[in-house]
Amino acid sequence: MLQFKLVLLGDSSVGKSSIVHRFVKDTFDELRESTIGAAFLSQSITIHPNDGNGAKDVVIKFEIWDTAGQERYKSLAPMYYRNANAALVVYDITQEDSLQKARNWVDELKNKVGDDDLVIYLLGNKVDLCQDMPGSETIPELNEGEDDEQKVRAISTEEAKQYAQEQGLLFREVSAKTGDGIKEIFQEIGEKLYDSKKDEILSKQNRQINGGNNGQVDIHLQRPSTNDPTSCCS
Amino acid sequence: MNLNENYLDADVPERKLKPSKSGNFEGIPIVAPTSEPTTSVNLDKTFFTKAPLAVSISDDRSMSRSTSINSLNTAYLSSRRSPLRAMKLQAKNDLMSTELTNSSGNISQLPSVQKKYADPYLDSENDIRSRLAESIYSMETSVRGSEIQRRPYVSNEIPNVFKFSKPNNVKVPNEQETYDKNFLIFTSAGKPIYCMHGKDEKIMSYTGLVNTVVSYFQVNGPSELKTISTFASDKRFTFLDKSPILLMAQSERGESSNELLNQLDFLYSYILSSLSERQLVRLFSKRENFDLRNYLETTDFENLDEICSLICDRMFPSLLLNSLQCLPFRHSSRLKLQSLILQQLEKRQDIPRGTLLYGLIIAPQNKLCCVLRPKGHTLHTTDLHLLFCLISHQFQNLDETQELWVPICFPKFNSSGFLYCYIKFLPNDSNSNEKSALVLISAQKDAFFSLKSFSDELIVKLESERILKKINASKGFKLSDIPAPMVHHFIYKSKQNVQYVMPHFEINSNIAMDSSQGLEYELKLKTYYQQLHGTVVRDNGNLLSRSILNFVKWSSQDNKDMAIDETRMQFSELDEYIIGNSSFEQESVNMLGMAWVTPKFELYLIGNNGVVDKKVLFKSARKVANWCQKNESRLFISEGAVF
Repeated sequence: MLQFKLVLLGDSSVGKSSIVHRFVKDTFDELRESTIGAAFLSQSITIHPNDGNGAKDVVIKFEIWDTAGQERYKSLAPMYYRNANAALVVYDITQEDSLQKARNWVDELKNKVGDDDLVIYLLGNKVDLCQDMPGSETIPELNEGEDDEQKVRAISTEEAKQYAQEQGLLFREVSAKTGDGIKEIFQEIGEKLYDSKKDEILSKQNRQINGGNNGQVDIHLQRPSTNDPTSCCS
Repeated sequence: MNLNENYLDADVPERKLKPSKSGNFEGIPIVAPTSEPTTSVNLDKTFFTKAPLAVSISDDRSMSRSTSINSLNTAYLSSRRSPLRAMKLQAKNDLMSTELTNSSGNISQLPSVQKKYADPYLDSENDIRSRLAESIYSMETSVRGSEIQRRPYVSNEIPNVFKFSKPNNVKVPNEQETYDKNFLIFTSAGKPIYCMHGKDEKIMSYTGLVNTVVSYFQVNGPSELKTISTFASDKRFTFLDKSPILLMAQSERGESSNELLNQLDFLYSYILSSLSERQLVRLFSKRENFDLRNYLETTDFENLDEICSLICDRMFPSLLLNSLQCLPFRHSSRLKLQSLILQQLEKRQDIPRGTLLYGLIIAPQNKLCCVLRPKGHTLHTTDLHLLFCLISHQFQNLDETQELWVPICFPKFNSSGFLYCYIKFLPNDSNSNEKSALVLISAQKDAFFSLKSFSDELIVKLESERILKKINASKGFKLSDIPAPMVHHFIYKSKQNVQYVMPHFEINSNIAMDSSQGLEYELKLKTYYQQLHGTVVRDNGNLLSRSILNFVKWSSQDNKDMAIDETRMQFSELDEYIIGNSSFEQESVNMLGMAWVTPKFELYLIGNNGVVDKKVLFKSARKVANWCQKNESRLFISEGAVF
């Protein structure tokens, strides 16, 4: 089993907690309270790497920091992303300035986390609010009642996509409410992380196999970490 | 705390004091402030209802005489309040709210209820059987106007003798509606931060007025302005100046200034817990007219709403008694739990000192179950109340798969810094929604993973030793567990432990506790206790003496004997109905409550309606006190796990 650390960042009320809950429990709560501080959750997925190494399934466990988007908790953020393997930077496609906040997060990540392997995923949430998307029919029943004002898309897919390409980010528009695209994100991140760490993992595995241990191996992929309970530096 | 009440009063014709459309302030006649507290001018009778009585237990005879004076006044106070501002609409609201079990709530039937003088019930009042029944059972309140349907309740309904404009949880579309209690928070520069009721436009007009009043006193008097009372309408405006923040409470519920100040301080403490004093000062040092509202988050306003509703509408004696509610738990289990936690701490020597400051297990409904604390240190009750409010409100939707890491400033611990709380809900098999929470408090912001591993191991231990099951199964106690007849409800506070216990609410089982009727019951009970408590404390909130025994009587009969009979006649029929003996027209109200303070404990107790014999009640109170003392180790946490 592989373990990866993942952090969600973004402006408040863009739907970070909703995305995590859709992923971890496959539920959606219309009236979710704002996160205070940060919440720590975990969830495992299985990926099927197709890299000549025999199609052996790999279980990946994500340890997820769901942070509060509120400005006042910003000083705590480094603690959450410092050891992360992947960061989901979320914005709300109906909120113009949430993309700017997302850009700030991306900049901060690039400046503060000196790791090229850090996977940054830009996520536009709440596509369900804009049913006029090309390709999907407008189905009013989906939005029954509770959103009396149909929200207008404020950030075009192209704009965000272009930005993501410039910065070398993964990009997707999703809906935590309908679950559209949520599973895929984590699958994609899992595969990408597996790919980038593959050599490291395989060499470790080989060493252990040579050592005569052929069973399941737990490999924790962490950089030297202050999160390690046995070390007391901070 | 030194209270300084400045009473403003004037001879304004009572009729002028009707609520007006432009806001609540119109009713206050503000004249030149008296430079010293006046006790000789224009004192309304209601003032004396606060005059508490300290009576020693031995002096039984004098006690009964003096308390009856007190109780008369109390009853007078409670029913007298509304006439001056009795709008018809409000009167109807009153009726509907007091009509507990009348589901139809049909206003149109009101006129038919007016036949009080030809009351069949009055005739039967001499009936020995009915009087006997009355001493044991109280009446269903909805019998008014109908046939005598004496469905004997098992003594668990107490009448409402308090006049509230309406339960605050009921939303009334009419915006001009005035509230009998409101909290406002603004900055010293006059920008609104929060108000419990009312819209911005309305509040804006308040700010100027309030600032003027406050600064007038700052400039002119050496004394700090705390409270303005209007005797005529029995309104109280209490101010707490915590520059750069100014808080104001407005109440017609007869609370003392000190009580209102405590409530304001609690609201202020919440703001500090969210921002910390250092940050607050920093924000305002740059710009005095900083708009704090933009800086606070939705969650803050939700939490303030929650705290206000706790203070105003819910049975929340924690604040009144300044103590914690404790989870009744078998003594041996509690010891076991504490030793398990200490063992776990012993085992984890790798967690450096200071990483784990405090540990708490909090059972549902904010009952403290266990404390882990360093020797010589305790947490202040206010800090714990704030934490409990957050946990019960903000995190109630979380489940045991999540762990939280929350920075909280504990204002009484250190108002300028944050502590970090690791919060995890404990698994509960018995698929109830109520979960206990484990809280580990650290001063270090990156201690999460240390505390997480500590918690993971501890929870495994608790589960394997079946302690967790016992925590989840602990259900508190019922009044019927105690052989104390004629008692409706009580609160017992152990002074040494700063903790209190009370039995479950026992109301008609088909009333859900969070329905409007359930809420009304809580409000009613809360008011009884508030008045009881008011008889044993000074204006500054300290107890009158080390030992006090006070009886308070709420009675509808007494009303008739009072001199207000004449004035009452001046009002219209509808008003009279409300004011006279109001909703308990057919139900004779004879509520007796008692407050008993000793160096060891405080006991506040409410008898069943109809129990008029002080000796009977006192006998039961002794049984309650004995029971609580006998079970002290089960009911209270004495030391906690100390390391």
